[in-house]
Amino acid sequence: MIPREDLRAHASAILYRIGAAATVAEVDRLQDEALGESSPITAARRSLREATPDQKRALGAIVNEVTTTLADALAARRSVLAEEERIVRLAAERVDMTLPGYRPERGAAHLVMQVWDEIVDIFTGIGYTVAAGPEVETAYYNFDALNTPATHPARLESDTLYVDYGDDPEGVLLRTQTSPVQARWMESHQPPVHIIVPGRVYRRDAVDATHTPVFHQMEALAVGEDITFADLRGTLAYFMDQFFGKHTRQRFLPNFFPFTEPSAEMHVSCHRCDGSGCRTCGNRGWIELLGCGVVDPNVLEAAGYDAGRVSGWAFGVGIDRLAMIRHDIPELRFFFDADLRVLEQFR
Amino acid sequence: MKASLRWIKEFVDLPTNDAEVVAGVLSDLGIEVEGIERREASFSGVVVARVLAIKPHPAADKVRIATLDDGGEPIDVVCGAWNFGEGATVAYARVGAVLPGGITIGKKPVRGVMSPGMICSEIEMDLGEEKGGILVLPDGYAAPGTDFAGTLPYPDAIFDLSITPNRPDAMSIHGLARELGAFYELPVRIPTAVFSEEGATAARVIIEEPERCTRFTAREVRGVQVGPSPLWMRLRLRDAGVRPISNVVDVTNYVMLELGQPLHAFDLDRITDETIVVRLARAGEPLTTLDGVARSLSAEDLVIAGVDEPLGLAGIMGGGDSEVSAATTRVLIEVAHFEPTRVLLSGKRHGLRTEAVSRFERGVDPELPPAASARAASLMVEVAGGGVVGGFVDAHPRPHQSVEIALPVSEAGRLLGADIAGAEQAGYLRRLGFAVEGGNPLQVVVPSFRPDVTRPADLIEEIARLHGYDNFPSRLVSGQGGGLGPLQNMLRMARMAMVGAGFFEILSFDFIAARSLEGLRLAPDDPRSRPIRLRNPLNEEQEFLRTTLLPGLLDGLRRNVQRNRPDVALFEVGSVFLRGEGVLPEQPRHLAFAATGARRGRSGGDYEAGDAAGVAEVLLTALGHQATIVQAAVPGLHPGRAAFLEVDGRRIGSVGEIDPLVAAAWDLENRVVVGEFDLASLEAPAPAPFIMPSAYPPVVFDLAFDLAEEVAAAALLATVGAAAGPFLESLAIFDVFRGEPLGPGRKSVAVRLAFRAPDRTMVDGELGPIRRAISSRVTDDLGGRLRGG
Repeated sequence: MIPREDLRAHASAILYRIGAAATVAEVDRLQDEALGESSPITAARRSLREATPDQKRALGAIVNEVTTTLADALAARRSVLAEEERIVRLAAERVDMTLPGYRPERGAAHLVMQVWDEIVDIFTGIGYTVAAGPEVETAYYNFDALNTPATHPARLESDTLYVDYGDDPEGVLLRTQTSPVQARWMESHQPPVHIIVPGRVYRRDAVDATHTPVFHQMEALAVGEDITFADLRGTLAYFMDQFFGKHTRQRFLPNFFPFTEPSAEMHVSCHRCDGSGCRTCGNRGWIELLGCGVVDPNVLEAAGYDAGRVSGWAFGVGIDRLAMIRHDIPELRFFFDADLRVLEQFR
Repeated sequence: MKASLRWIKEFVDLPTNDAEVVAGVLSDLGIEVEGIERREASFSGVVVARVLAIKPHPAADKVRIATLDDGGEPIDVVCGAWNFGEGATVAYARVGAVLPGGITIGKKPVRGVMSPGMICSEIEMDLGEEKGGILVLPDGYAAPGTDFAGTLPYPDAIFDLSITPNRPDAMSIHGLARELGAFYELPVRIPTAVFSEEGATAARVIIEEPERCTRFTAREVRGVQVGPSPLWMRLRLRDAGVRPISNVVDVTNYVMLELGQPLHAFDLDRITDETIVVRLARAGEPLTTLDGVARSLSAEDLVIAGVDEPLGLAGIMGGGDSEVSAATTRVLIEVAHFEPTRVLLSGKRHGLRTEAVSRFERGVDPELPPAASARAASLMVEVAGGGVVGGFVDAHPRPHQSVEIALPVSEAGRLLGADIAGAEQAGYLRRLGFAVEGGNPLQVVVPSFRPDVTRPADLIEEIARLHGYDNFPSRLVSGQGGGLGPLQNMLRMARMAMVGAGFFEILSFDFIAARSLEGLRLAPDDPRSRPIRLRNPLNEEQEFLRTTLLPGLLDGLRRNVQRNRPDVALFEVGSVFLRGEGVLPEQPRHLAFAATGARRGRSGGDYEAGDAAGVAEVLLTALGHQATIVQAAVPGLHPGRAAFLEVDGRRIGSVGEIDPLVAAAWDLENRVVVGEFDLASLEAPAPAPFIMPSAYPPVVFDLAFDLAEEVAAAALLATVGAAAGPFLESLAIFDVFRGEPLGPGRKSVAVRLAFRAPDRTMVDGELGPIRRAISSRVTDDLGGRLRGG
C-alpha cells in the first residue's frame, strides 16, 4: 500500500514541473510520468483492488483527487504552450507582404478605346444601337449620299486618301467620316432610327500636334417623327454630363455642315474650371467640342425617307479629342505611339 | 478674315463699344470670332505741325533746320529727311513725347544746333513701312497743335473671324454690319458713291463662257496719279491684313473688304484694243501672275484675256503684264461674277488662296458688281485723282433669278421643337433682308447676297439663328434598344480578356510600307503578300493598306525596346484589308498580339512559345470557345514553335514565336511571341448545357507514356481521351521528361486521369479494362508505350 503522503508528494513535484514545462512535448512526457502505466498514481489505483473497504475509501478519494488535479494542470499547460508554439511557428512563416504580389498583371485598354467604350455604354444605356460599316468605303456613301457636291473640296486628293481598288480612280476611298454608316443604315432600316457610329476615319493629313491621318470619330443619329433640335440639345446635355461625370453647360453656335441644316457647333463648359477659365480651356471657360445639327432634308431623301414627315438630328465628335480634353493630353501623336510609359497611365 | 469694329460702326450704330459684347453677338449668329486684337496709337506727345520755313544747317549738309508751327511759338527742329518743303503738314514729336518701343524724345544738339523734339516718319510711329522720309500729311489735315494720335482711327478692335463656307455675305464689313443690324434691329448704311462721268469708254468685254462668268462690268477712270494712298486707307488695309501697294490698287482692296466683292484694276493702256475676253485658257498657256510666278494654265482655268494673251486668272489673281504701275494713268476697273466651284478648283490647282478666291468660292452677291464698281470709281477719284469715263460696261449674260421659297409655319416647330408664331418667323426673316409675304405658308424671297438659302430648311436655320440657338428647349428621348451587336460585344470581351492577360492595347495606323511585309517573310502566294495600294499615299512608309496587324505591333515592340522598355506585351484590334470579289475589299476585324522580354510581375520568366498558346487559349475561353492548338509550320514564325489555332475544326489564326529573321528585321533580340486571329469568323457559342455534378467520389490515377519526340502533347491527350470511355472527368499532362532510362529521341509524358460515374462509386475492377484500352490505343495510334505498365 502506498502511503497517501507519497501520492501527494509525487503530485506536487509533478505539478511544479508542469508549471515549468516549456514545450508541448515536455507536457506529453510529464503526462506519462504523472498518470502513465508506471506512475505511482496508477500503481496506487491498481493496489486499491486488493484493499479493504476502509482503505479503499481513504486512498480512493486521494487517488481521484490527485488524478483530477494533475490532468487539469496538464491540459491547461498544454493549451498555453500549444498556442505559444503556434504563434512562434507562424511568425517564422512571415512573408514580406510589401513585395510585389504574385499576380497575373493586368495590361490596359487604350485610352481612346476606353473612351469609345464609355460613349457606347452611355448611348446603349438610353436605347441606342451601335452601327458599324467598312473603313474602305465607296465615294458614293462617303460623299454623294451625304449631300456633298461632286465639286466639294473635301473630295480632293489633297484631303482624302483614295484606294487603288476597282476601275474608278475616285470610286473607293478611306472614309473621311463615320457618316457613310448613317447612309447605309438608313438604306436598310425604316424610322425611328437611334444609332451611334463609333469608328476609325482617315484624312490625308501629315502628323502634327492635332492631326494624324487616322483618328476616331463617333456620330449619333436620331430620325423619326417629332424629332427636333430640342432633342439634340437634350441628348447632348445628357451625354456631356455622363462623360465628364458632372454637371456641364452647353452653348450652341450656328455653323455649317453639308449634312445638317440648321447646323451648330456645341461648346461645353470646361470640366476643369467649370467656366472660370484655366489652361485646359485656354482661359475661355468653354471648350469647342463638336458639330451637330438637324439632318439635312437631302440626306433623308437620299435614304428614301420622306423628309416632310420624318426629321432628325445628328452629331459627330472626335473620340481622340474627347480623350485629349478630359485627360489634358497635349498631342494626338501620343495615341499612336504604342509607348508603354503612356499606355500604363490609363489602366 | 479680319474686321475692324470701327469700320463696322461706320455702317451701323451699334449700341455698344465693347468688342467682347460684339464678338459674343457675332458668335451667336454663327460668325466665329477666333480672336480680338486691340489697336491703338503706340505713341504719345506727337502733334500736327506746319513747316513754316526751312533753312540749311550751319555745320552739316545732310540735315536741315525746319521751323515749325505747332500751335505755339515757332520752333526750330533739325531734320534729316528731304521729302517735304515749306508749307508741309507733318507729325512733330515734342520734347517729352514717347514713341513706340518706349523711346522718350528729349532736347538734344544735332551737330551743334539744339533740336527740341523731332519730325516723325511712319516707321518711327509704327504706322507703316514707308521709308522715303518723314510722314507728310495732306494740307489742312488738322490745325497745328492737334494731338496726332487723336486723328487716327484708334483705339479699335480687330476681330479675327472664321467664316463658314456657306456665308459669302459675311466676308465683308458691310455684311457683318448687316448681320449685327439684324440682331440689334438697326438700319445699315451703304457707303456712298459720288462722281460725274465724262466722255465714253472704248473698252469692250466679250464673255465666251457665260456659265462660268455670269457678269462682267468694266469702268474706266482716266487721269489718275498713282502714288501712296492716304494714311487712313493704309491703316485700314494694314489692320485687315492687306499690304498697301498704291492708291489705285488699294482702292480695289478697300472696296473688296468693305463690300465683299473682289475687284481688279488693269492699266488700260496695256490692254490691246481695249478689249477684254473672258475665255478658257488653252492647255499649257503661260501666265505670270502678280506674285511673280510663271504658270502653265490648264484648259479648265478661266482667264481674263486680252485679244491674244491671258491677263489674269479669273477670280483668282491678275497678271503682271497688265498690272497698274507708277506710270499708269488710265485704269479699267473690273468687277465680275464667277461660278464659285470652278474658282475654288482653279485656285486649288494653282495653290492660290487669295482674298478673291476665298470670296468667289463662297458665291459673291451677283447683283453687287455695279454698286461695287461705282464705289471703287468714286474712291479712286478721291484718292488718286482723275475722272470717271462714261459708258459703264455691264456684260450680263446670265441675270440673277431671285429664289422664292414657300415656308409652312409649322416647319419651325417640327424641326426645332419650339413654337414660334408665323409673324415672329416673318419678323426674323425680314430683319435678315428676306422679303416675306403671306400668312401660311410664308412666301419668302431670298436676297441676292444669300445664295446659300434655297430651301425651307435653310430658312429654318435663319429663324433659329435670330431666335438664338440657346433659347430652344432641351429634351431627352430614348431609343428603341439595341445596344452592341454580337461581333461588337465579342470584340469588347476579347479586348478585356487580353487586358486581363497582361497585354496593353495599342492603336496603329492602317498603312504599311512594302518593306514591312517583306520583313514578315510571308509566302508569295499568301493573300497578305498582295496589299492594296493607296492612290495618293502620304509617303512611302504609308503606301499600302495593312493585310495583317503584325507590322504595327512589331513597330510598337521596337519603339519600346529602343526606349529601354525591353519587356513589352501589346495587342490591337483593327481591320485588315484583303482583295476580294466585291466593290470593296474584304475588311475582317482582327485581333493580334505581340510580346517580348520578361513577363510582368514577380512570376518572372521570358515570353516564349508557351505564352502564345496560353494567351490564345485564355482569349478563346473568354469568348466561350475552346481553342485547339495545331502544331504546324507557319510562314514567318519559328519552324518549331508555331501553331494554327482552330475552333470547331475551323482555322481562325496562328500563334507562336516569330522567326528570328523576322525579329531581326525589327531589331528585336529576344524571343517574340505573336498571334493573330480573325475573330469575326467565330460563330456565337451555343448556350452551355448544364452537367449534373456527380455525388460519388472520383477515382484518380496516373499513366506515363514513353513516346517519340515528334508526338504532340495534343495528340496524346486526344488519343487517351478517346480511349478513356464515358466516365473520364478530367485529363491533364503533369510531367514531361527526357533522358535516362529513355532512349534518344524519346520523351516520357505523364498524365493524370480522373474518372467518375454519375450514379455510383466506380470500383477497381472497372478500371483495369480502361487502362488496357488506353495503353493499346496509344501504342497503336502513336507508337507509344505505357511505362511501368
